[in-house]
Amino acid sequence: MVKKIKNLKEFSLSNDRFEGANLMCPGCSHNIIVREVLNATNDPVIVATATGCLEVCTAVYPKTSWDVSWIHIGFENAAVAAATVSAAYEVMKRKGKLPPATQKMVDEGREPKIVAFAGDGGTYDIGFQSLSGAFERGHNFMYVCLDNEVYANTGGQRSSSTPIGASTTTSPAGKVSYGEKMMKKSMVEIMADHGAPYVAQVSPSKWKDLVKKVQKGFEVNGPVYINAQSACTTEWKHAPEDTIEVSDLGVDSCVWPLYEIINERDEHGIIYNTKLNITYRPKNKIPVEEYLAAQPRFRHLFKPENRHIIDLWQKAVDTKWEYLQKREEAGV
Amino acid sequence: MAKKYELNELEVWDGNMAAAQALRQADVDVLAAYPITPSTPIVQNYSKFLADGYVDGDFIMVESEHSAMSGCVAASAAGVRAATATSSQGFALMVEVLYQASGMRLPIVLTVVNRALAAPLNVNGDHSDMYLGRDSGWIQLCSYNPQEAYDLTLMAFKIGEDLNVRLPVMVHQDGFICSHTAQNVYPLQDEEAAKFIGEFKPVNTMLDVANPVTHGVQTEEDWHFEHKARQHNDLMNSFSTIKKVFDEFKDLTGREYDFVYKYKMDDADVAIFALGTTVESARIAADQMREQGIKAGVISLRVFRPFPFNEVAEALKDVKAVATLDRSAPGGTFGALYNEVSAALLAHGKNPVMLNYIYGLGGRDTTIDMLKEVYKELDECAKAGEAKYPLQQFLGLRGPKLAFY
Amino acid sequence: MGKKSLKDIKDVNEIKELGWDELIPGAALFSFTEPVEDVVEVPMDERPYAPTNSHEWQVGDWRVEKPVYNRDLCIDCQFCWVFCPDMSILSRDKKMIGVIYEHCKGCGICVEVCPTNPKSLLMFPEHLDNNEALKMWPKKEEKEK
Ligand SMILES: Cc1ncc(C[n+]2csc(CCOP(=O)(O)OP(=O)(O)O)c2C)c(N)n1
Ligand code: SF4
Ligand code: SF4
Ligand code: SF4
Ligand SMILES: [Mg+2]
Repeated sequence: MVKKIKNLKEFSLSNDRFEGANLMCPGCSHNIIVREVLNATNDPVIVATATGCLEVCTAVYPKTSWDVSWIHIGFENAAVAAATVSAAYEVMKRKGKLPPATQKMVDEGREPKIVAFAGDGGTYDIGFQSLSGAFERGHNFMYVCLDNEVYANTGGQRSSSTPIGASTTTSPAGKVSYGEKMMKKSMVEIMADHGAPYVAQVSPSKWKDLVKKVQKGFEVNGPVYINAQSACTTEWKHAPEDTIEVSDLGVDSCVWPLYEIINERDEHGIIYNTKLNITYRPKNKIPVEEYLAAQPRFRHLFKPENRHIIDLWQKAVDTKWEYLQKREEAGV
Repeated sequence: MAKKYELNELEVWDGNMAAAQALRQADVDVLAAYPITPSTPIVQNYSKFLADGYVDGDFIMVESEHSAMSGCVAASAAGVRAATATSSQGFALMVEVLYQASGMRLPIVLTVVNRALAAPLNVNGDHSDMYLGRDSGWIQLCSYNPQEAYDLTLMAFKIGEDLNVRLPVMVHQDGFICSHTAQNVYPLQDEEAAKFIGEFKPVNTMLDVANPVTHGVQTEEDWHFEHKARQHNDLMNSFSTIKKVFDEFKDLTGREYDFVYKYKMDDADVAIFALGTTVESARIAADQMREQGIKAGVISLRVFRPFPFNEVAEALKDVKAVATLDRSAPGGTFGALYNEVSAALLAHGKNPVMLNYIYGLGGRDTTIDMLKEVYKELDECAKAGEAKYPLQQFLGLRGPKLAFY
Repeated sequence: MGKKSLKDIKDVNEIKELGWDELIPGAALFSFTEPVEDVVEVPMDERPYAPTNSHEWQVGDWRVEKPVYNRDLCIDCQFCWVFCPDMSILSRDKKMIGVIYEHCKGCGICVEVCPTNPKSLLMFPEHLDNNEALKMWPKKEEKEK
């Protein structure tokens, strides 16, 4: 059942199912994303989480920060965990063996929503196989990647989501290195190419856009992928109070474009149309430099010998932004 | 509702079919699996049952064994019956999640068709995968033929799901020699089997939205030890449930199981201690030795984990020389069986001659003659009252004799 | 099962003393002490929290500075509510009520996103009394030309 959220005041009527006194860093975006996702629905939610900051900080014995059922198995299997909880739910529903409270919800048209949260490490890298498998099999669940572009939980090592030029503990900037050498992997397109009915990129700073996309995702049948920008005060090295501002800089520079890809499928699951919608268009597209300057992980790029990486960044961002606009226009 | 599968009183099944039929009868809610020789036919048979309408639950062909076991963990935590099958490399890929399954106390059933571990790659039976699981906190049951594979798979659900146990259970059978060899099996009818196993009893199910539960927590130095201790305690104490289930099964079928399997051990002077199908060859060898006047016996484990320490010592208390046969490359020490049996005997003040034979790796045939040779060596040691041979020898190996100590 | 179990414990401090025999197999944790049929309908401070719910614990001592709330200036826009990472802005019936100091980690996000001028939330040293802080509130900032 879609929850009505017309504006922020209405949204603030939500009663959180994610609890305080967890051990996430002050100012962590992961938490903001989790709140926005859970509060996007009033239906019951069941959560699977991959090893990573969110997992190690919200279920440290003897405390849980979850008011929904929650499971963590490992680093690389959040997708299959959520997918199989979803399968188990379907079997019990079919067999008429759901617990009474759950059955009651189902009867009211409030089916549980099954959500996986995983970091970029657990998604782009080690969990990719499990994610790809679960999407190919078409289970009914939502997968949210908390993308802070680094293995934050283990001290800031690079992942395949780390963007070029970022200094991480395994791609440090040094006398002869400008930091990470590879461009960020295009996870949104990769997941859309799995044929998933709904794939979107979001930022917690644009809460309404995020909530709307999550709600759309909850309504479709099949696996949904949400790539969430997650500014990490510890590894991006900005001040905790700047989390929302840094996120906004990412969105307004189009480093982190907000868009969705919808694979329209007929009753047999055959895709007859794919469309891409840009859901936020900055009034003034700000230079990438401003985004980079706000984060000390890129500080070394401002040295003369590394300036060419900033130019490359701008080119990459412009190219992607143009590509997205072309796709949107062409309706593909 | 699944269709009833018409079964004859006597079926001719190989070990894989026997295991698959038991899984079908257990009405598994979520079976997540991935194929690997020699356990593949379990998965194939099961999919055929599904295709023909004999399965009610969900069957998920996942993209790896890691996901197969992860799927079982998630389904089990969600409060449904979950099972899978694997061998060798697939088993190795599951290892991380095996510990998660037992640590989270989820009564998953895993049918393992034992096979060697690469490198070099080998598809045939040995016990490397079974040994790899021995510290994983699972109950491990051993079968030697299709009938036992069937029986123990049914019992595995009942043991693991018992509220005093709530631990995952592996049922082992040997690759090819058991898994691919058709033999007589007396099955239970579907209703009988279902009644014997009973309904799955969810504990802390994630599907109950009114009682949210957190599974798979982090415990650090202030808690981890206590949780692992609790887990070990409950695994050690699972003997009583295992016994209870064995007894109930005997009442139902007349087929008898015990923690330790013994053949002509009552008056044995020498004994071969082996696991799996080798037990059947050893029985023939023992009979032939007895014709020559050597009091030979065979001993094996039905329950590999928890290890029946006292029962092993009791069964061997009057034996003068024991050969433990380990079918897994020991990796720099004695075979696991040798170490564990020796410890049991020592603790009970017994000191027979103990020899360790490494044998049958990668499916190498172990003949009756080879086992008789072992008995002869044991007999010499028994008569001399001391080891007349190196403590560890490789059996049936080409090239110069390989032995240590 | 042991004498008492984690499920029966009401006092957070008792948990620390539990021995191995008193633990719930599998280290499962529960959010509530009794069933809550529809948790979204129950405001946070009315839920039957289990002592194993982090809600019952506190992280306030992580702070060096705390956000202080000035009701007089607030327009109830709820920016602070939506962006607080730690569920520490107490909001009822679309009104901002205050800061939950037990759970606030002092990140300062709420202050940054507060749109009023002067801000309705400001960071002050942890030891300063809130009434003192309110007295020290700055005046409206003139926009730079
Ligand atoms: C199989 C396995 N390999 C490595 C690790 C160590 N490890 C735990 S979390 C983590 C990084 C997590 O990064 P990410 O998924 O991006 O999540 P974040 O902490 O950044 O939110 C690593 C490398 C592990 N737990 N399991
Ligand atoms: S390291 Fe980053 S992602 Fe992890 S808790 Fe801290 S701020 Fe959040
Ligand atoms: S300082 Fe941070 S944690 Fe505290 S109320 Fe403000 S946003 Fe929430
Ligand atoms: S952000 Fe400021 S104005 Fe808006 S509700 Fe919070 S305190 Fe009030
Ligand atoms: Mg990360």
